[in-house]
Amino acid sequence: MANLSDRLPKTPVERIKLISLLISAVLVLFGIRLFYVQIIRYSHYKQAALNDQLEQTKIPATRGLIEVKDNNNIVPIVLNQKLYTLFADPPLIKHPQVVAEKISKIIGGKSTNYINQLTAKHTQYIIIAHQLTQSQSNQIAKLNQPGLGTQGQDARVYPDGDLAAQVLGFVNPNGVGEYGIEQAMNKQLAGTPGELKAITDVNGVPLAASKQNTQIAPKPGDNVVLTLNIGIQQQVQQILAKEYKSTKSQGVSAIVMNPYNGHIKAMANYPTYNPADYASVTNQRLFQNAAVDYPIEPGSIMKTLTTPAALNDGAISSNESFFDPAHWVINGFNIHDIKIDGGPREQTIASILALSLNTGATWMLMQMSHKGTTVINATGIKTWHDYMVNHFRLGKLTGIQQGYEASGYVPPPNMNDPSIDLRYANTAFGQGVSMTALQIVTALSSVINGGTYYQPSLVDELITPSGKVQVYKPKILEKNVVSPNVGKELIPLMEGVVVAYLHGGSYFMNFPNNYIVGGKTGTAQVAKPTGGYYKNIYNGTYIGFVGGDKPQYLIVVYNIKPNITGYAGTFGGQPIFAAIAHMLINEGYVTPKS
Amino acid sequence: MSPHNQTLKKRFRFDWRSLIEKNVEPINARRHKPDNWLMVICAIMLVIGLVIIYSISPALGLTSGTSGSYFVERQVLAIVLAIVAFLITANIPLDQWRKYYKYLILAAILATMVAVVLPVNPNYPAHRWVRLGSLSFESVDLLIFAILIWMAHFLALRMKKGLITNFRKTAVPLFALLIGVGVVVAGIQSDLGSTGVIVIMITVLAFVAGLPFRRIVIIGGIIAALTVVAIAIAPYRIARVETFLHPDTNCLTTGYQECQAIIGVGSGGIAGLGLGSGVQAYGYLPEADNDSIFAIYAEKFGFIGSIILLALFGALFTRISKIADKAPDNFSRLFVVGVLVWISIEALINIGAMIGLLPLKGITLPFISYGGTSVVFFAAAIGLVYQISRYTLYNVPGSENSLTRRAGINDYSSHGRRIGRAYHPDLGDRS
Repeated sequence: MANLSDRLPKTPVERIKLISLLISAVLVLFGIRLFYVQIIRYSHYKQAALNDQLEQTKIPATRGLIEVKDNNNIVPIVLNQKLYTLFADPPLIKHPQVVAEKISKIIGGKSTNYINQLTAKHTQYIIIAHQLTQSQSNQIAKLNQPGLGTQGQDARVYPDGDLAAQVLGFVNPNGVGEYGIEQAMNKQLAGTPGELKAITDVNGVPLAASKQNTQIAPKPGDNVVLTLNIGIQQQVQQILAKEYKSTKSQGVSAIVMNPYNGHIKAMANYPTYNPADYASVTNQRLFQNAAVDYPIEPGSIMKTLTTPAALNDGAISSNESFFDPAHWVINGFNIHDIKIDGGPREQTIASILALSLNTGATWMLMQMSHKGTTVINATGIKTWHDYMVNHFRLGKLTGIQQGYEASGYVPPPNMNDPSIDLRYANTAFGQGVSMTALQIVTALSSVINGGTYYQPSLVDELITPSGKVQVYKPKILEKNVVSPNVGKELIPLMEGVVVAYLHGGSYFMNFPNNYIVGGKTGTAQVAKPTGGYYKNIYNGTYIGFVGGDKPQYLIVVYNIKPNITGYAGTFGGQPIFAAIAHMLINEGYVTPKS
Repeated sequence: MSPHNQTLKKRFRFDWRSLIEKNVEPINARRHKPDNWLMVICAIMLVIGLVIIYSISPALGLTSGTSGSYFVERQVLAIVLAIVAFLITANIPLDQWRKYYKYLILAAILATMVAVVLPVNPNYPAHRWVRLGSLSFESVDLLIFAILIWMAHFLALRMKKGLITNFRKTAVPLFALLIGVGVVVAGIQSDLGSTGVIVIMITVLAFVAGLPFRRIVIIGGIIAALTVVAIAIAPYRIARVETFLHPDTNCLTTGYQECQAIIGVGSGGIAGLGLGSGVQAYGYLPEADNDSIFAIYAEKFGFIGSIILLALFGALFTRISKIADKAPDNFSRLFVVGVLVWISIEALINIGAMIGLLPLKGITLPFISYGGTSVVFFAAAIGLVYQISRYTLYNVPGSENSLTRRAGINDYSSHGRRIGRAYHPDLGDRS
């Protein structure tokens, strides 16, 4: 100890040296630490700095337009417009009263409404108003008010109001398409967002030129040209709106299709909504396009598919006649016709359709089972099922560009089911089987066009931002659905139905001679969710065609639970078809017979 | 009352007169060329500080909501005032400062009282500032300056009288001073950083004046204990220690400034981002112009620049300690040592916090940081050191003897030069 205290510095100068030494030692220590922090751990701290400082922002791409062809022009029906969101940074606003008044002068509304937002506590970002126009945004900018700003965003504009609303869908605030074309074609419409990497200050404002700043320009989306004919679409919508009211229906849908390529010329439902104001829609069901996702038991329009199946199978021939007993007893249940047709008597294939004989449809199934008998066996069931599912693609999704779709239901030919023959005796005329309006009109198109099942399509072509056109070629999903002759035989049969109804009192089914019009009514019982059918509730359906030398348009109508007297098909479905067919003829959309 | 008790009482009786004794001997060493390097190094550091403040002025303007040039203008004004202060202290003779130090102490006490009495406001959240219109100054800088002169004077007298080891005459007044500073600066002004500077300064001066090691260790122990108490009774200080020990886990809360400081330093790398390219000043690192300026500097100039700045400080400390070494008398020696401790402790505490070696204290980086008061008082202190450097004694090898000899000793120049002529080893004209 004594030794130690001897060695300790005693004089002031010695002690000053000691202190200088200590200070120098600390400086050296700091130098070593700086070496460690700035050189050895450089990349760690560089990354930590970038995590804070480097802001990556997406530059939204301009969304593609949705257009239709109108004669030779391409007309947009969905456009973009910049709308602005007004926001505030409340702590920066010194005189909220004054600012609120200025805001209300520019965008309307009571200034008192804005004061609360402008004086909000504990926030530096509060949205004051949405959907300001460009000029309103400019006026806000001119105020030069610190803490007040606008943020632009692309919004969709619909110059034609609710035109094809449920087909189009809408774009949600995140810029993602929902429902319809906007959802199905979102990838093509959205384009690729660009990217902006920038070193920013603590508030995210990019600093002037930095080596780290990079910018990738956004790639705008493609324009989508629809197959819709804007004129037909508009008028179909008007017709549906009118008939919806006059039949006190719960919903009507109609599709007008070109049977030779699957192009949809019109597709509409009523009720509908205004896509510009989608946010105020409370009933989500309105967003859905019932024509593609609301399958029902179609009723007797099913006979237009059972007949060609039986014809193509060779089970029947178009000029054949048979003895109709007016009812069949199958598994102890009666199959009888929906209307009194004068009891058991001789009937033809034409009268099966014209009178809508359920016994006739069941008879066709019997002929498919074993020609010349009145039994239903596995052969008939399996053959019918094969036609419906593998030829007409019922029970399968069509792949329509709507983003969502219902597949409907065809009961499987399960021969272990003891009531399978009764079940199939019913499906032959459209009960116990379900399909969307789109499925049945596409299936019948494949018969009428001579046997080719085209995938139904709403998209005609894509136009890239550089103007390159990419045509959506009609896609063939099934070939030789039925032989071409079957279609040729079915056309006059369906024309006969129209004539029969005209003579039966449906005077609106009177069409000019230089056009061909054919069709089939359907009055479908509505199944209870608990099993069995409602007594007095029916869906009215109709499927038919209109054309000149050959059918030019196929038209399907679904009228859900119309509140009318008489058969739902005759008085709920048929008038809508008639109105659409007349409109197509009168407006010159149909090429008359040569 | 036992005789033992009486001795104890006598021993601890506070001899207040001893605190303001007047016994001034003028320096009677020869005047020679001053240490101009002192001035040059300080000037370089002031320029570096000004350049940094200028380069981050757009960021300062953004974060403070004023024009960025405001900070540059204020700092230029501070530097002008600093030059004035330097000229005053460099030219008013040292014995005058000793003679009238009481008024300096009075001014310091008055300023501290004003600062304590003035109500706080958002811009001046603690009782540390004396405000006159748009001007404000931190009273503690004046207090440190006054205490420094006072301590040098007091201890020099004790040395002269051989009373440095006398408990009643030396240790008790020192304790009284320490407690006073602790109550006012640490307690009322909540300025633990400055308190630390003062306490270390007083302790080191006592040590240099010859206080035995044993006493120093005891004083050190007491200071450490008081520091622990000061930390323990204030939750925010506990949080600061906790933050210091685990900076990474507290990055978004209490440790934000520490984290951003070391990120700034580390991201500078070897050569730095360049003067115009730092990012941390743009709102990430609080007090970018002030307490955190070293991190901003290190970000811009990297390891090389940081080492250069450390070397500048090292050179300054070397010059000052050399002057202390050769000081003509005990007062000037103690004063110079005090300046060395003052500047070095502030610089080391500040830089140490920026590189994650010490907890964060609200202490500026001498000559570099924005802030008028600190610049002016450091310049004033350097001015006095500069004046003292005119009277240093250089001829005697083994200069530890210089204290014991009379100041006129340089009459015997070992270099065979003309009698009465002093020289400066670095600057002296030897031709």
